[in-house]
Amino acid sequence: MAVDINTGLIALGAAAAIGVSAIAAAMAEKTIGAAAVGAMAEKEELFGKGLILTVIPETIVIFGLVIAIMIIGMAGAA
Amino acid sequence: MLHPQSMAKIGILGPDTEMERTIGALHKMRVLHIVEHKKKADLDIGAPLAKASRLSDILVKTRSLCAALEIKEKIQPTKESFSLNVIEKEITNAEKEIAAAQQNLRDTEAEKKRKQELKEKLGFLQAVGLEPEMLGPFESLAVFAGQLADAAAFEVDLKKITSHYHLIHSNNPIALFVTIKKSADAQALLGQYHFSPIDLSALTDLKGSVSKNSALLEQSIRQLEQEKQDILASLESFRKKRAANWLKYVSYMEQELEKAEAPLKFGKTEEAFVIHGWVPEGKLEKTIGLLNKATSERLYIEKMPIDKHDKVPVELENPKAVRPFEFLMRMYTLPLYKELDPTFFLFMSFPLLFGFMLGDMGYGLTSLILFWLLKKKFPQARAFFDTLLFASLATIFFGALFGEFFGEEVLFGYELPHILSRTHQMMALLVLAIAVGVVHVNAGLIAGFFNAKKAHGFKKAFFEKLSWIVLQAGVALLALSLTKTLALHWSIGAAIIALAVVFLYLGEGINGLVELPGIFSNILSYARLMAIGLASVQLALVINEFAKEFFHAGGISIVWGVLLLVIGHVINLAVGLLGSFLHSLRLHYVEFFTKFFKGGGTPFQAFGVKTQGG
Repeated sequence: MAVDINTGLIALGAAAAIGVSAIAAAMAEKTIGAAAVGAMAEKEELFGKGLILTVIPETIVIFGLVIAIMIIGMAGAA
Repeated sequence: MLHPQSMAKIGILGPDTEMERTIGALHKMRVLHIVEHKKKADLDIGAPLAKASRLSDILVKTRSLCAALEIKEKIQPTKESFSLNVIEKEITNAEKEIAAAQQNLRDTEAEKKRKQELKEKLGFLQAVGLEPEMLGPFESLAVFAGQLADAAAFEVDLKKITSHYHLIHSNNPIALFVTIKKSADAQALLGQYHFSPIDLSALTDLKGSVSKNSALLEQSIRQLEQEKQDILASLESFRKKRAANWLKYVSYMEQELEKAEAPLKFGKTEEAFVIHGWVPEGKLEKTIGLLNKATSERLYIEKMPIDKHDKVPVELENPKAVRPFEFLMRMYTLPLYKELDPTFFLFMSFPLLFGFMLGDMGYGLTSLILFWLLKKKFPQARAFFDTLLFASLATIFFGALFGEFFGEEVLFGYELPHILSRTHQMMALLVLAIAVGVVHVNAGLIAGFFNAKKAHGFKKAFFEKLSWIVLQAGVALLALSLTKTLALHWSIGAAIIALAVVFLYLGEGINGLVELPGIFSNILSYARLMAIGLASVQLALVINEFAKEFFHAGGISIVWGVLLLVIGHVINLAVGLLGSFLHSLRLHYVEFFTKFFKGGGTPFQAFGVKTQGG
């Protein structure tokens, strides 16, 4: 299956969009999660707030996914 | 429904003679949230009732006995009452009995351990073929017994020191008899060969042969073990006989102690007491009536006006179907008394957003059955599972809209009817997700408008909340006219945006301007409705494709195919449930609630509920 270089580059672009944003989200969540667990150890009622704070950076990876899908859409159009 | 239960602030004033009766009546009614009195120059804090210290003393003793007997059953509130003297007598006697039994147990165990050690030492004698009386003490002989790794090499060296010795060895254990004169040298040599001696002094008192003594010891060890089991059994029967009673005692004393310590929250003069607190408005009259009856109308009870600074306790009040969602509210924070109670909004939109993300008839049915079973199994977490049951129903509904069954759109050659196919109409799905975001966020803003109107009046509420909607309209107009979808000049959109920005500045000051882009990232955040759903569909499709390969291969591969299907879908369902739950919750907590909800309310806790249950 011969795929021209442009399609390949677009696919790589999509991969970078989702991959890098996922790494970024993971790094952010790591720090928040550790702090949230620490806070919960002191005060258990903070579970709800901790949970919410922990998933806040997840937005980054969702934006990444949306962008990746849009890039793939471009590839389909090209 | 949309507001917490309305509360009445009351003050109760009475003479000391009526205090105990008042406390008793309040404790039984479970309607008054007592506000702790702060010490003032003219009004001190009350002292606990006289019996409090004796009560807590006996309570601690009973609890420690329960711990000693490993009574771990949960304490059920009791309605019975007991005499404190009877409890104290029983507990003191039981304490002695248990202490004696436990001492006995320890003694028996120590004795058993001693005998076992003795038996091990006899085993050593047997290994080297000696009898107890052969161990001395002797006038001219020294005896060494113990473990020695290399007895043969040791004997070669020993011969260099003396020939007057007798060495018995069977592998490691050795016994060495040597003349007293050479014993110091022999000991030094033994030291070089890493000899580890065994203390056999306890054996020298034994009479008779090794085998006879072993048998005797064996018998007495068995006897001691039997004794130990007997003591344990008697403790167990003691536990069985008393546990139920003691748990009742603990519950009774906890209730009495709660009453006895209640005056710590009261204001107190020399002859009178004052209680401030909150009663649900609907129960106010009945409460006053019962209090007057209990004290023959010797109390002065007054309903007081609610002050702006009062921290009114919050008790949520919702219809039965909505009530499980109060759990999700409590997990975050309770609303303030003046605020809208968002539980109803959660009930409306939480299952919808959840269903939108998971959206699959197969997964919906599975989770419906799963949570129904879990609810039966763990009735204490009923509220949590109820919310998930609603969410599962919504999942089935959206599954029907998307025409999906475990990821498949075609079942046995029939294409499932669908309104929107998630795998084939991604862009439409994305637009729909964002549209849901626009509706949800703006619903939040409108709720915020009503909240703010109630707290600060129309003008402030308009600038603070509705200007966000004006801003969105402006941006939409600008975008539409720039893309020539609408035949308008771009400046109209821009003008509306500028107007909205001015409104915002008037409403929220600099903070509002800083948060300008926030509203759009909030709305775009709803793209997760599409993204998470798509991820779960794609994963399900991958699992199905792999399984199909196995099925086509036939033979033993079919088993692998079935395994792959089951394990794959279980994992995908678990991830999907967790993701949909968290993200649906997050969309509410972060994107939706921030538009109107402050939270931080104090939970309403009626006096008496702690020890008697709701």
